[in-house]
Amino acid sequence: MKFSYNWLRELVDGLETPPKDLARLITIKTAECEGVERVGAALESASEARIVSVEALGSGHNRKTVVETAKYGTRTVVCGAPNCRPGVRSIYLPVGRKTIEGIESDGMLASAAELGISRDHTGIVELDEPFALAPDHIIEVDNKSLTHRPDLWGHYGMAREVAAILGKTLRDPVKARALGGAPPLRVTIEDYALCPRYSALLFENVTIRPSPLWLQYRLEAIGLNPISNIVDVTNYVMAEITQPMHAFDADKLRGGEIIVRLAREGEQLNALNGERYNLDPSNLVIADPVGAVALAGVIGGAESAISDTTTRIVLESANFNASSIRKTSSRMRLRTDASMRFEKAQDPVNTVRGLERALELLEEVSPGIRLVGGLADAFRPPPAPAPIELPLDWLDRKLGRAVPAADVRRILESLQFRVEATAPRIFSVSVPSWRATKDISIKDDLLEEVGRMVGYDSITPVAPLAPAKVPPGNPERAFHHHVREMAAAQGFTEVYNYSFVSEEMAAAFELDPAMHIRVANPIARDQGLLRASLLPGIWKNVGDNARHLDSFRLFEIGREIHKDGEAPHFAAAIYAKDNGVPGLLELKRLAECLLPGVTVRPAQAQGYEHPQRAADVHHGGTRIGRLFEFHPRMVEAGRAAVLDLDLILVEKLQRGTVRYQPVRRFPTSAFDLSIVAPKRALIGEVHAAFPRPPELLSIEFLREFTFSDRRRSLSYRITLGASDHTLSSDEVAAIRMAIIDAMRSAGYELKL
Amino acid sequence: MLDGLISQLYANALDQLASAETLDQVEAVRVEALGRKGKLAEISKEFGKLAPEERARIGKLLNTVKAELESKIETRKASLEAAALDARLDAEWVDLTTPAPGPRPGSLHPVTQVQQEVEDLFVSMGFTVLDGPEVETEYYNFDALNIPADHPARDMQDTFWLEDRRLLRTHTSPVQVRGLEKLGPPLKMIAPGRVFRNEEVDPSHEHTFYQLEGMMVDHDVSVAHMIYFMKTLLSAIFHREVTVRLRPGFFPFVEPGFELDIRCLICNGEGCPVCKQSGWVELMPCGLVHPAVLRYCGADPEVWNGFAFGLGLTRLAMMRYGIDDIRLFSSGDLRFLTQF
Ligand SMILES: [Zn+2]
Repeated sequence: MKFSYNWLRELVDGLETPPKDLARLITIKTAECEGVERVGAALESASEARIVSVEALGSGHNRKTVVETAKYGTRTVVCGAPNCRPGVRSIYLPVGRKTIEGIESDGMLASAAELGISRDHTGIVELDEPFALAPDHIIEVDNKSLTHRPDLWGHYGMAREVAAILGKTLRDPVKARALGGAPPLRVTIEDYALCPRYSALLFENVTIRPSPLWLQYRLEAIGLNPISNIVDVTNYVMAEITQPMHAFDADKLRGGEIIVRLAREGEQLNALNGERYNLDPSNLVIADPVGAVALAGVIGGAESAISDTTTRIVLESANFNASSIRKTSSRMRLRTDASMRFEKAQDPVNTVRGLERALELLEEVSPGIRLVGGLADAFRPPPAPAPIELPLDWLDRKLGRAVPAADVRRILESLQFRVEATAPRIFSVSVPSWRATKDISIKDDLLEEVGRMVGYDSITPVAPLAPAKVPPGNPERAFHHHVREMAAAQGFTEVYNYSFVSEEMAAAFELDPAMHIRVANPIARDQGLLRASLLPGIWKNVGDNARHLDSFRLFEIGREIHKDGEAPHFAAAIYAKDNGVPGLLELKRLAECLLPGVTVRPAQAQGYEHPQRAADVHHGGTRIGRLFEFHPRMVEAGRAAVLDLDLILVEKLQRGTVRYQPVRRFPTSAFDLSIVAPKRALIGEVHAAFPRPPELLSIEFLREFTFSDRRRSLSYRITLGASDHTLSSDEVAAIRMAIIDAMRSAGYELKL
Repeated sequence: MLDGLISQLYANALDQLASAETLDQVEAVRVEALGRKGKLAEISKEFGKLAPEERARIGKLLNTVKAELESKIETRKASLEAAALDARLDAEWVDLTTPAPGPRPGSLHPVTQVQQEVEDLFVSMGFTVLDGPEVETEYYNFDALNIPADHPARDMQDTFWLEDRRLLRTHTSPVQVRGLEKLGPPLKMIAPGRVFRNEEVDPSHEHTFYQLEGMMVDHDVSVAHMIYFMKTLLSAIFHREVTVRLRPGFFPFVEPGFELDIRCLICNGEGCPVCKQSGWVELMPCGLVHPAVLRYCGADPEVWNGFAFGLGLTRLAMMRYGIDDIRLFSSGDLRFLTQF
């Protein structure tokens, strides 16, 4: 929203604060200013000028023109404008001398566009009013910081803030007018919840022509395109007192009645912007007895629009339900200056003020205009909000500083709240209508009014008094950090992947798209599902990084999202240009570091896994994850081993409190055994087949050897010991034989 | 006569010792001179034939020579042993500048690092760290935060809606409500996590980013407390004293609501491109918890109140490391991630 500094100066008596300082004050006390821009700089040196004589030059296009200027005396300029003729009052700019077609041209006559007054550059300005335009400053306020303030979408609302900030007097631009005649048209509102008020005036003897320069300049400076006197007045009133208005050509309305109703199924509207809109019963329309003539609060219809030949107008000043306007405007993808204001919840009291202000302006811009009859006004006033009780001690306590009662009253009254002292240290505060639509309803809202006006910088920071207490811990999160640190220390770099996957990707990982949560409005077609596995992301990381690096380790801790909940997972990958085995074993070791005691059990491979290199990771009887190599056809050039663990289970299975065992006092004995196992026998199974006599302390795998017939010789070191004596050689021999016998009866051959 | 033999033996032994190059040669010298069948033992056999006064003198001489030789032999042995050890160790020269084998340490994601640092700070100030789901209900993401049904924040274009009418949380604020429901007041909590906005991705916009929500609810928590807290926190985060300023900001779940700015750390408030010449950098939204939110959480706003704030972790990481493209965080690009 752009605010003209000159406009604000008209509304705040004695405003002298320079624009930049004012913008800073508004930022701190009211809403964020994004910048201050100077406009109409050329007007500084511009001078009113009368064309004395015009003499054609050789080209026939340019003319030697002598002008009599108010500031610079007589000057000769070369002017090519089609409307350059003797007697025209225009504007002269002293831009320097240059020679054109042999004539020394000293300065120029300017078009409205060259002066920044409007976009008109078809010819030089023709004045029919005294020239009194000056450079201006535009303060741009971030629209997002105005969403809760319907009153700040016009200059008068901002002027009220400025007056309150600076302790100046606010000047109301609206003069009360007598509008008491018989209404010349009937207004019917079908649902007052959607349209609390509809006010209108009928005018005749209207002349359509360009607005005076001052009006064009005002609109141009704040980014509204000047169009014609009537439309410009409606925009001016909107930009001044926040009341959107619309002018209909009265002769194009049929039946002498205006009906505010929901659109009928299949109804259509040709709008002012040249578009044709299909309406449905969720859209509120303005209609005559024949059909819709405007999309309420959003845009007018083309058929009822004013044109150069218009002589009678109906001027609408209405109030519409904010969320209805918002819905229509967002569904139609049509945000207009009017809809933007209505969707902030405008003040129904304001409609007649808008008409009063417009009436005064129309009398100026369309001389001879006449009001027909009086005000047509359908209005069901909303219940007046009850005054808010504001306890001053509460206010001081919440703010953390004392604000004298007199200051509280002064601040609230300067913002035009009504303040009554109903009890000691308690104010009863009535909210003005323009703040009551949605902005202010509870005492906490008043706290903000007082706080921002006394200035938050006037509050001394104070340490909160809170009991020293150890906060409840978050073991799950602490565990995730532990896992992260451990993985990073072992060479893995953390990645973050998106929570979205495509259907194709889910299918590639053998996950049924139907078990995924689907995004109703995905940002792209290939991001339509929520990830039910971290693996697609990890696979993408492997492919992307393999383009730049020969080997790498990476991991992610992220959530799998399932229909019935979210599961944090740890997924790690090792990529290298080798046979893939070291990576798999390193990941197995990482799993053992994260959860001592894990075992790995070969399992049927999924399609994306190497058919001979896939295993479940277990702890006790619980499956906690998967260790595998990506199927070589999924990875270019190198091999990628992957570990995927369910972190909830890994955390749950962590060792509890440890009970101390006495340190062994007697020496242990050890011997080696070589077991010959069939082809592809699993070391893990051989290990599990060993008997566990009480003296057995450890079974350590030493090495393996594969025979030419692919039988495997597996060597183990067995360590024995007793807690109360040193085992004798006879005892050791007996246990060794028992182990050998047990392994033989388990079907293994022993190499002795 | 014996004197002559003894001094000759002594001299011979010393000669041999001097030329002995190995421990074995030294041992041979010892055996020849001092062994049980050695020369000194032979001389001792003559000992009985001597007159008593001679016996005392020769005995003393023998002992002296024996002790002398033993000591010389030991010295020679020690020096040969030391030389042997030196030679062995010299052969064990190793180049310690050789790169160590095995993987280099990996690194934590920059957002993780910033997040952990901020988490630790809060925990040290008595806050508990809470988690909330990434898939949220409309109730927790909007209703309970006093965001009305027709608020622009609920627009299709800002929120990822899911087909089951749930949504991806657009902020970490729902955890305020979940935390207060679960733990009740008084409560000091933070909730870091992943949030989602339905936004086209470009160097300064991401649909997935990271926030940290904080809330303190107690009796009589004031704006003055909040300012103190934010100042302390931000000074710790930026490792230097920061100047903060509050200005009005509108967020439905706080009242009053603020935008908290810090004086630009690049130019100290003089004005520079980073702060768009204003001297201030907008850092975090905050405010006093709206009474409606407290009521939604089952806390009586006449008894309890508090402040809440949101800190953009992604933005903080960008500021700290000078990262100018937000897309890098989710790129999985190790050339970027291994820098931290
Ligand atoms: Zn700066």
